Amino acid sequence: MKPPAKMSKPTSLFVIFFSLFVMSEAVFEDQVGKFDWRQQYVGKTLFAHFDSHSQSSKKLFLATDKNIFASFNSRTGELFWRHVDKAGPEGTIDILLLHGQDALMVVGGGRLLRSWDTNMGGLNWEAVLDTGSFQAACFVAMQDTVKHVAVLKKAAISLHYLTNGHQKWVENLPDSDTVQYQAVYSGGEEEVYVLGVVPNSHLTIIAYSLEDGEIIKQRSVEAPWLSSVESSCVVVGHGVLMCVDTATLALYALPIQSLDLEVSPGFQPVLVSSQPHPARSPISEFFLQLGPDHHVLLQLNADGYTIAPLRDFQPAFLVSFSTTGEKTVAAVMTPKNETVKKKKNVACAINLFSADSGRRLLDTTVIFPLDLNGGKPFKLYVHAFLKKDDSVGYRVLVQTQDHALTFIQQPGRVVWTREEALADVVTMEMVDLPLTGTQAELEGEFGKKADGLFPMVLKRLSSQVILLQAWLAHLWKLFYEARKPHGQVKNEVTIETLSRDEFNLQKMMVMVTASGKLFGIDSKSGSILWKHYLENVQPNAVFKLIVQRTTAHFPHPPQCTLLIKDKDTGLASLHVFNPIFGRKSHIAPPALPRPILQSLLLPVIDQDYAKVLLLVDDQYKVTAFPSTKNVLQQLQEMASSIFFYLIRSDQGNLSGFRLRKDLSTERIWEVVLPTEVQKIVAVNGKRPNEHVHSQGRVMGDRSVLYKYLNPNLLAVVTESTDAHPERAFVGVFLVDGVTGRIIHEAVQRKARGPVHFVHSENWVVYEYWNTKSRRNEFSVLELFEGTELYNSTVFSSLDRPHLPQVLQQTYIFPSPITTMEATLTEKGITSRHLLVGLPSGAILSLPKMFLDPRRPEVVTEHSREENLIPYAPEMPIRTEWFINYNQTVARVKGIYTAPSGLESTCLVVAYGLDIYQTRVYPSKQFDVLKDDYDYVLISSVLFALFFATMISKRLAQVKLLNRAWR
Amino acid sequence: MATPGGQGGGALSTRGGARRMKWALELTLGNARGRGDRQSNQGDVMYPIGYSDKPVPDTSIQESDKNLVEKRCWDVALGPLKQIPMNLFIMYMSGNTISIFPIMMVCMMAWRPIQALMSMSATFKLLENSNQQWLQGLVYSVGNLLGSALAIYKCQSMGLLPTHSSDWLAFIEPPVRMEIMGGGMVL
Repeated sequence: MKPPAKMSKPTSLFVIFFSLFVMSEAVFEDQVGKFDWRQQYVGKTLFAHFDSHSQSSKKLFLATDKNIFASFNSRTGELFWRHVDKAGPEGTIDILLLHGQDALMVVGGGRLLRSWDTNMGGLNWEAVLDTGSFQAACFVAMQDTVKHVAVLKKAAISLHYLTNGHQKWVENLPDSDTVQYQAVYSGGEEEVYVLGVVPNSHLTIIAYSLEDGEIIKQRSVEAPWLSSVESSCVVVGHGVLMCVDTATLALYALPIQSLDLEVSPGFQPVLVSSQPHPARSPISEFFLQLGPDHHVLLQLNADGYTIAPLRDFQPAFLVSFSTTGEKTVAAVMTPKNETVKKKKNVACAINLFSADSGRRLLDTTVIFPLDLNGGKPFKLYVHAFLKKDDSVGYRVLVQTQDHALTFIQQPGRVVWTREEALADVVTMEMVDLPLTGTQAELEGEFGKKADGLFPMVLKRLSSQVILLQAWLAHLWKLFYEARKPHGQVKNEVTIETLSRDEFNLQKMMVMVTASGKLFGIDSKSGSILWKHYLENVQPNAVFKLIVQRTTAHFPHPPQCTLLIKDKDTGLASLHVFNPIFGRKSHIAPPALPRPILQSLLLPVIDQDYAKVLLLVDDQYKVTAFPSTKNVLQQLQEMASSIFFYLIRSDQGNLSGFRLRKDLSTERIWEVVLPTEVQKIVAVNGKRPNEHVHSQGRVMGDRSVLYKYLNPNLLAVVTESTDAHPERAFVGVFLVDGVTGRIIHEAVQRKARGPVHFVHSENWVVYEYWNTKSRRNEFSVLELFEGTELYNSTVFSSLDRPHLPQVLQQTYIFPSPITTMEATLTEKGITSRHLLVGLPSGAILSLPKMFLDPRRPEVVTEHSREENLIPYAPEMPIRTEWFINYNQTVARVKGIYTAPSGLESTCLVVAYGLDIYQTRVYPSKQFDVLKDDYDYVLISSVLFALFFATMISKRLAQVKLLNRAWR
Repeated sequence: MATPGGQGGGALSTRGGARRMKWALELTLGNARGRGDRQSNQGDVMYPIGYSDKPVPDTSIQESDKNLVEKRCWDVALGPLKQIPMNLFIMYMSGNTISIFPIMMVCMMAWRPIQALMSMSATFKLLENSNQQWLQGLVYSVGNLLGSALAIYKCQSMGLLPTHSSDWLAFIEPPVRMEIMGGGMVL
């Protein structure tokens, strides 16, 4: 199945290239999905619509904050299709309107108007709109058919045909510099109404003729209490504008009427209304939200002047209208009774109410449990439909604060849940799974050494017996379950059955998302094993995830710490949890009254085997966590050898500190890169869990070029502030983090960021945009100590008189890249590959061999001996290097690599909009038998040979005997 | 192996009666069918036991035999040296590439002298009749040593000897880190 493994010693160029071909590693067809998986996400829902075009439709349309328009299967929660637009404000979806088979979208702050075919997800048409910031849009109907869409901009209104997007007319709005036009409305008449407001003065209503865009009427209403139409006004009934005065809490239905209602202090009342069809007026019932969990259903009477309350809902989290046929219903979500709440299992109930009477509809209650580790319900989308017996059935999509979507069907069954928070993973770690009891028993045996020979033998025997027992139990289970039909045998991973596999290939992925929700995902199957929502996390918070204790210290549970820093206040908090179960640890994190600048994980462990985390505050004082006596004592002893560095990008300042015995610090060095010239964009040290097996490289003449493996080396990347293509530059500084000594300085002229770089072993690879040649380039820096080691036993940055030799080479790369990471293996014996995320969604596994500054321009005997590829300026992209074949990962933001128990195997997780997990084998699987290893053939040959030997031995004996008798 | 009836000497035969009986003792030689067939042409003359038709060579020690022994001993002693040109030729032919055949040849080349040196005492026994026993022994061992030196040279030219620093690279332990360092951009 796989190509032959190795060439022994390439003797010519041809052979070298041939061997490269052989080295290529792609996934074979039968390996697809065997050890890799992908999950696709869309992000936080902004607009959601059910496909009400046909009764049996399973489609659900979403527009999200990640600029994605997607269609889901509402029965399974799977994606039908997804359109990923440009990231950033250029692709923002301003509004999503659904009518029949057309989904209309205004994109990019009013830049484009798009119409999608909801059946197939194809683009019907796209129209470029005039400049101006988008305000509102609505369908405009004429004689009961929807033919147009009106788009309101800051200073203009335009009408477009629904069929082809052509503009029917565009009109400038009068006095657009003083009046803020905020809403557009059409009730099926021949007019389009535009509502504008001059804050705290008056409301302007302009009616345009549908035919030619002429102003038919223009009216101004005194409204000194009104500041925004958008947030406090809705149209109800036959063209009645209903506004709520937030200050005095009066409801103004033009003309004005006041109502006796009480609002929660500090809450801005919200109005909710519904317009089931653009050709008809909105229904005359509407909701008024008076508090976080207080809603009132009101009805505007037929005279258009009086309002009657229909029903008071308290408590009620969320309300929503839905229409099916001629019936409009209101869905209300209320918390379930209090007794359940005490059991720490909050449930919610959803009831349907008839909109026109406020009566509760029978048999419409849906109760669903609310995940305590999730957020509160945030929005309700209801899809009502008529059952065969003419009663109303419904399905509900609940959006919670943690961006999760839950789809519920009527008897209270949660059909599916999508954790959309995973569309924005900020940082992640992979944690080893715990050992099973038997494995722990075996491990424990090696742990203790104090016993004598005999007890050790006994212990070994007993553990072997336990292993045998477990194996027999396993066999018995297999035997027992063999009779069951295949589907019934459950192979699901649950949190209880989690245990480390033979080669430690299955790990727990701890993912931190921007919304503050933490996930524990099984790396083998991709199933979410636990989730924990951290409430009151600011949207712009910074996260740093630290593994303080791994699973290796058996009776002690593993421990992860998440440092959450609020960008605005600078204050940080720690969330300590068990990464396997997601439970919050009982260990109390230290109080951090001062803003935290950085953290530093020491290799020092306390008596409970937890690594010590140092937190540096803005006065450069250090807080230790955990801070037991033992730890403090160790810290005092080691203080003189603990250093840390801080980089302030805004001041262009790099400074190094040394810890004092009293946990204060002293600044020992400072490097200033003037901010007028260049800006520090990124810094990277080496990964602490990286092992380098070989201390040098073997030259062609069999001497050694020793690597400069400075564990304290930092790669600091700067970009010039001058963006002119002739003067722009990118700088890479290699700084020793202990002494502040600049080891090397590489400046790439006529280059521009964004710079992606990897710093590992003795090399730095970075990628930038060459402004002169207009292409992407890779550059590699390698540091060597020379042919002799200065000190082979210890490395101290304070005693390094010689600067390393630096080699550099640059290559042209045919594609821009979005992220880059290097593979990582257990012992560092396996050759390294670079994993490059491309904007196309592919992840390229690029052998480091191609990025080697020793690649010769002229091939010599020695370079051939070293297996160096001759220098070629172009870097190839081979499609068989794509580790994710056709499973593209949209908007790759980061790639995480982790070693597995096998030296050949590196676990890879690419995250961005999607999450993709796979394994890579940079030097092929040299330590395991291949998947397609022919056990049957080999063992049958072995057995055949064995029996042949037995038989021939017997025959030979007989023959010998006979000969002797002769 | 002790085959039944094997010790019977000339008087015993397992051949003639093998078909009918397991063994038979022939007391009268003349009746023996096998012998009878062979000796039928020569008549019924019976020779005494130990009689041979052919003349016995003269085995008395003569002066020229001494030289022969000497010559034979020198042959033994010079054997390894004589192989060296042959080995050189093989070495030249096999080249310096590392593949199975050159490796096998080098192993043979290295192993034979070592084997010979280890069985020195046996060789000395061969040479013990010679007057120049010690000289011959010396020449023999020098020859073998040269042979093994040649093998070592071959190993060296093939790059099989750990004489370069790169050969010890895998045994260098990573240096111990003296300082602990960490930090980063201000969060």
